[in-house]
Amino acid sequence: MPMLELVEVHAAYGNIEALKGVSMVVEAGEIIALLGANGAGKTTALSAVCGLVPPKSGRIVFEDLDVRGLKTETLVKKGLIMVPEGRRIFPALTVMENLRMGAYLRRDKPGVAQDLEYIMNLFPILAARAKQSGGTLSGGEQQMLAISRALMGRPRMLLLDEPSLGLAPLVVRSIFEVIKKINSEQKTTILLVEQNANLALMLAHRAYIMTTGLITLSGPAADLFKDENVRQAYLGG
Amino acid sequence: MTSTPLRPFARRLWTETKAAALAALWISLLAFPLMILKINNLTGALDPQWSRLPKLAVAVFLGAYLWRFLLRRRSFSAVSKVVAEAGGPPPAGPRPTWVDLIMKTRRRKPLLGLVLAALLVLPFFASPYVVNVMITALIYVTLGLGLNIVVGVSGLLNLGYVAFYAMGAYVYALLGHYFGLGFWLCLPLGALSATVMGLLLGLPIIRLNGDYLAIVTLSFGEIMRLVLTNLGVTRGPRGIPNIKPPGFFGVDLNGAPKAFLMRTVDLSPAMDLNKILIYLIILALVALTVVCVFRLENSRLGRACLALREDEVACQAMGVNRTRAKLTAFALGSTWAGLAGVVFASQITFINPSSFTFMQSVMILSIVVLGGMGSIPGVIIGAVVLILLPEQLRFFSNYRMLIFGALMVMMMIFRPGGLIQSAREVYRHQPAGGGSNDGSSRAADGDTGHRPEKQAERRPAHA
Repeated sequence: MPMLELVEVHAAYGNIEALKGVSMVVEAGEIIALLGANGAGKTTALSAVCGLVPPKSGRIVFEDLDVRGLKTETLVKKGLIMVPEGRRIFPALTVMENLRMGAYLRRDKPGVAQDLEYIMNLFPILAARAKQSGGTLSGGEQQMLAISRALMGRPRMLLLDEPSLGLAPLVVRSIFEVIKKINSEQKTTILLVEQNANLALMLAHRAYIMTTGLITLSGPAADLFKDENVRQAYLGG
Repeated sequence: MTSTPLRPFARRLWTETKAAALAALWISLLAFPLMILKINNLTGALDPQWSRLPKLAVAVFLGAYLWRFLLRRRSFSAVSKVVAEAGGPPPAGPRPTWVDLIMKTRRRKPLLGLVLAALLVLPFFASPYVVNVMITALIYVTLGLGLNIVVGVSGLLNLGYVAFYAMGAYVYALLGHYFGLGFWLCLPLGALSATVMGLLLGLPIIRLNGDYLAIVTLSFGEIMRLVLTNLGVTRGPRGIPNIKPPGFFGVDLNGAPKAFLMRTVDLSPAMDLNKILIYLIILALVALTVVCVFRLENSRLGRACLALREDEVACQAMGVNRTRAKLTAFALGSTWAGLAGVVFASQITFINPSSFTFMQSVMILSIVVLGGMGSIPGVIIGAVVLILLPEQLRFFSNYRMLIFGALMVMMMIFRPGGLIQSAREVYRHQPAGGGSNDGSSRAADGDTGHRPEKQAERRPAHA
């Protein structure tokens, strides 16, 4: 059974239809990339999955749970956690408090301490900055914090919305390394929304390509990487 | 040629003089009815005090000069701070203020103990007037700390806080009046009923944000006052008299114990033992409040409220139930108002609706804003200053509210974060860098770890 399944999902903002029947499948343990140009509906698809935008029709199933009508916090409890676009860390809270916010719904103290240690090993820089307010971090550090904050909820599936946004290529590379590490070490399923198609295709197992609210192409990442049409449209020739 | 370097200075002087003269003219016009037009009480005829006009004008003129000078200095120091941050000469570290010195000292605990001990013995040596004023100040500390949970921590602007205060006071007054219930039973009852009222009011309105919430709470405060004025049970504007002071294990301290002490240790007959007891009760309540608010701020709920103020979407992504978190904070804040209300009723022994006007809500809000939103020591000092200052200014009688207002305006300009700024607020008020949570433009280089540690740890730098 797939971990997450979208069947013919439609969603709209007022009269503007953002998703025109999106279907996709994410198996447990996979890294899936969702690619597309600006305004293709990638973020809307993610928002629909985690209950921030209610879909008009279609089915979204996470494990054996119909997501429609469920509150975001219920989904977080079930292990479906999103790292929102633009990082959205809490600037006035310290790094440590940001991380504690990630564990908001958890009651198992030893587990939280264990995850905290894991994260401090994953991103040693966050340990050094633990007492600083989140807003004083650099863009790259903020992205690391945003991912770590989501990890504190011990996700079974992580939704990442444009983790490379506004970051230097070198930093993006190191963050993608960590995403790969999280996937292999924690067995966390990852759905990655990206504009940086090159890197995303290198990281992901499979990919979906969206154009104006529809999935136009899908397949193993390696195949898409070689595909002439994809190269021309998204990878710069 | 010699006049060229002088010219900018002369022009500056001219514009400053012009501005100051304009201010003097303007204030003279504004204050004309208040300061100049006087009625002779004996004859009933108009007796304009013309001699005051030049005095006023000159005073305002000089004041305006000084004011503009201070403002310029302030903006200048802000500029030099930005320059220093941009990699200029390194700043000589944060300049510790007297507040930092008190708060950061290693001897903080003994110091606090000393202050507490002094407060404990104060009523036995001070005059009844001082004790009474101190009770009022401490009641407002409690109110300020309670409202701080709502406004400072959760960012919900509550302009009707006085309604919950009235709830506490009336619960005690009415239960005492009709059923003869005592203070100690009514204290938790008053707190509980204020909490319940907070929940009931909060339930429908907590989804509103910002201005809308302020409007609804403001209206609720007024509704409460009008209901109390027109209800038969509350005896309307006649109020409820003879509210009993708290008993000490069922004994009225001003009765037999006082007579006994007057005989044995030569107690002054002016000493009001009940007031002293109330003072000690409210002091204990303040201590309890401080502990609770401190624990709350560092708790799961407190963090969630702080985070909610920053970014609601991110909070949702963390699994925070927005409504529940805000509602809890709103109702918790109301609890303290109920507690303070019960103590207030026992202090003044007579309450009527005119004690619970919108001005009271504004006063409590001023305490929180002036003291420093979200900062416990700030709110305490804010309450003490705002309650004691008007008492001290009684000397200026008619003008004390004027001076008070001027002080408030100056505060907001020179220390916008409050007397003691909350440590969390540091980032927000930094002119460089901005408070945006999307730091991509600033830190697009994504450097990892070359910025000086000091910059981030900086305490609020004061102008």
